[in-house]
Parts: sequence; C-alpha cells; structure tokens
Amino acid sequence: MTFSGELLAFIILAITAVIGGVLLLNLNKVVHMVVALILTFVSIAGIFVMLSAEFVAVVQILIYAGSITIIMLFGIMLTRHRETTEAKGGGLRKILLLLGVLGFAFAVYIGIYNLDLNPQESTLHVNNVEQIGMALYTKYIIPFELTSVVLLVALIGAIVLAKKDDEKEANKE
Amino acid sequence: MVQDLLHSPAGLQNFLIFFGLAVVLLLVILGFVTYAILAERKVLGFMQLRYGPNQVGGPWGLLQTVADVLKLLLKEDTMPKLVDKPLFIIAPVIAFAPSFVVIATLPFTDKLQFADIGVGLLYYIAISGLTTIGILLAGWSSNNKYALLGGMRGAAQMISYEIPLVMSVLGVVLLTGSMNLNEIVAAQENVWYILLQPIGFLVFFIASVAELNRVPFDLPEAENELIAGYFIEYSGFRFAFFMLAEYVYMFAMATLTTVLFLGGWLPPFDFLGFIPGAVWFALKFCAVTFILYWFRSTFPRIRADQLMEFGWKILLPVALANIFLTAILKEILKLF
Repeated sequence: MTFSGELLAFIILAITAVIGGVLLLNLNKVVHMVVALILTFVSIAGIFVMLSAEFVAVVQILIYAGSITIIMLFGIMLTRHRETTEAKGGGLRKILLLLGVLGFAFAVYIGIYNLDLNPQESTLHVNNVEQIGMALYTKYIIPFELTSVVLLVALIGAIVLAKKDDEKEANKE
Repeated sequence: MVQDLLHSPAGLQNFLIFFGLAVVLLLVILGFVTYAILAERKVLGFMQLRYGPNQVGGPWGLLQTVADVLKLLLKEDTMPKLVDKPLFIIAPVIAFAPSFVVIATLPFTDKLQFADIGVGLLYYIAISGLTTIGILLAGWSSNNKYALLGGMRGAAQMISYEIPLVMSVLGVVLLTGSMNLNEIVAAQENVWYILLQPIGFLVFFIASVAELNRVPFDLPEAENELIAGYFIEYSGFRFAFFMLAEYVYMFAMATLTTVLFLGGWLPPFDFLGFIPGAVWFALKFCAVTFILYWFRSTFPRIRADQLMEFGWKILLPVALANIFLTAILKEILKLF
C-alpha cells in the first residue's frame, strides 16, 4: 500500500470519527455528547466523499449533522439538561460488557475478513445524483414509495398523538 | 488550474498551494466584510437622511470598520463565571467555520472557482445548516435566559426557512437537470431564471433573508426584546466571530442568488459580452446586497408567531406549487 493523499485523508477522517465516538461515550454532559456526535457525523460524511458518494455525503450532513442533532438538542433542552450521567454497575457488568465488545469485534472481523468486493466501480461519481434518482424511480420505485408512506403515517401519527395530549390537558384545566 | 491541482498527487507543495489559496480567499472575504459593513451603515444612513460614518478615514469613513474591528480585538475577553466553558468557546467556531466552507463551491466566474462538485447547490444548503448548531450552542452555553431564547428562536427559524429555501430552488434544478452550479449558470445563457422562475425567486429571496437572520427576520438577535439574543454574553474576539459569520453568509447568499437566478457572470445581452464576466458578477452581486440593506432600513421586524406561520403556511405551499407548476410546464407542455 502506497502512502497517498487519499490514505492520509482517510486516516484523519477515520481517527476523527473514532475520537467523536469515544468522546460521546466519555463526556459527562449530554449536550457535549451531542457535539461529539456531530463530529462523528461530519467525519463520516467526509469518508462518503472519499468513496465518490457526494450525494450521500451531503445528505448525511443535511439530515444527521443538521437536523437530527438539532432535534436531539431541543429534546435535551426541553428535559432535564442539568443532569450529568454517572457511571453505575459493578464488576460483573463490566466483564459482561467486555465480553460483548470482544464478541462484536470478532463477528465484524470474520464478516469483513473474507468479504469479496467486486472490482471497484469507477463510474459511480459521474452524475451521482442522476444515477441515484434513476435507480430510485425505476428499479426501486415501490420500496421508495412505501418508505414515504411509512414516513407520512409516522408524521400524521405524531400530530394525532400530540393533539390528543393537548385536548386532555385542556380538559384537566 | 484548480482542476489540475485537484488531480495532482498529494505533497507538501500542493498542500501549501491549497493553503495559500484558502488564505487569499479568506483575506478577500475579510476585505469584503469590512466594506460591506461600512456600505451597510452608509446606505442605512442615506436612507434615514443622515451621513453615516464620516470621521475615520476621510469623508467616506473608509477606515471606520477597521477601527471597529481593532477595538473589538483589543477588548477584554470576558467570560461569565457560570457558562459552559468548552461549548462557550467552541460555539463561535462552529458558527463561523461552515460559512467559510460553503464558499468553496461557489463559482464567481467561469474560471474563478475552487471546487466544481456535482451537488454544489445541496452542499451549500447542507453545510450552512451546521451554523444553526453553533447558534443554538452559543445560546445554551451562555447560561442566560435571553441568550437561550435567542438561540432557540434562531434554530427554529433557520430550520423552518431552510425547507422553503430548498423547495424554491428545486424549480431551477428541474429546469437545468443538474445541481451543479456551473451547469445552472450555463443553462441561463439565453434567459435568466428570475424570468422563468419568478415565484421561485420570490420564495428563495424571502427565505434567504430569513436564513441570514436579517431584518425583517432578525428575531434571534432582536435588540429590543432579547437585548442581543444568542450572543449577548459574548464580547471581543468571539463576538466578532459571530458578526463575521453573519456577513460571510451574506456574501455567500448574495453569490448564490446571483448564480441561481441572475445568470452568474453572464452578461444580460450578447452585445455586452465584451465586458468581462467578473464585472457582471460584481454588479449583480452588489445589487443583491444593496437590496438586503434596503430591506433593513424599510421593513419592521415581524413577530415570532407570524414568522412561523408565514414560513410554514405561505412560503412552503407556494414553493411546492411552484415545483408542481414547473414540472407541468416542463414535461407536459414542454415549454422549456
């Protein structure tokens, strides 16, 4: 493996993503954790760019780093945000955790060690958005529409639930 | 030139070249911000029948902003005792950095552009959304109720108006068939999109003013109700960062408006083609920024509930109708 700019960029992005994840686990305040999460999301978007998936990268930033973290921040601020988490659990829990982590690492290792990737596609980055659009609206049209129906149901369901709560509270008062 | 550079092997020399280009761009933008602030104060002054800055640096007050910035830099950097320190420090950075990053894809002329990526338009919108986080964190970490209110308002407003902003641009994307900003400009060779997409332009312009947090949508920093909103606890250099982010976004948004709807660097008529593209770009850009100043001096600030209702109940349906109309005109009637 030669040491190219691509490798360097990948190493930097990967390390940043991992640092974000570690900080997410180790920080004490919830809002700080969300900031660490943003760091991870943005570096993953960078990795997507390196894989010639411009559209996915931009959507990653738009949806995850932009919207979802804002929703999380709002959620945290509306609840008890002064709380800091404290480590709990004894030795048994830690051992179980360690075993779980080791098992997961082993499973991932087995999964990717013999993974046979097709020879790398070299035309993916050409008209990336157009290709995704074509695929979504021809080959995958039914799953795509089903997903949107599911999202619509979730949206309407959320509105109905929120409305009901309102009425109940109004009746109480 | 940049295209060749992008494909060249990585090395210290190329890194230095990129670094140098970025520093030059930063300096150009700082220069723009300096004089944009002066121009704003002058234009506001003339519209309110007064002179504006006219003491420092000659009768036109040419060094006024420089003096102001110097004063900001020399100020004591105060930090209240009960702020959330790491967030308080990092929030201005999170707010400013995306504003500079978005400029990388904006084409100023056919040659003067840094990165030409396929999803340029979406890139702008995605990255600029990160600033919202900076504003929200600034408001939260200040540990001050006015700052928190300002930050919350800022986040709510910027998210609400991002949606009509994206929707209004979709008409342009439909007509061009690409999200690449260069191709969007090239498609305006004959007629600008402001003529083909008047509704889209109106929605886009209103939403962009709201995204910039400028009057009449400057609720996050409304002076007379929230004192100064999310940056009330900030002073000195950190405060300067928020102001800088605001004006760099104005630069970027005016550029984007020019590129999307006013034909970028293309001349309005073919016989005027002997004037270089940079001049045309600068003229259109100045016109857009002037309109932003004009808004500031003529519109009253709207109320928070009106802001939300206007965004969700008027702008969004209008933008959706515009997409529908454009699709019908393009595919069924085949007008374009």
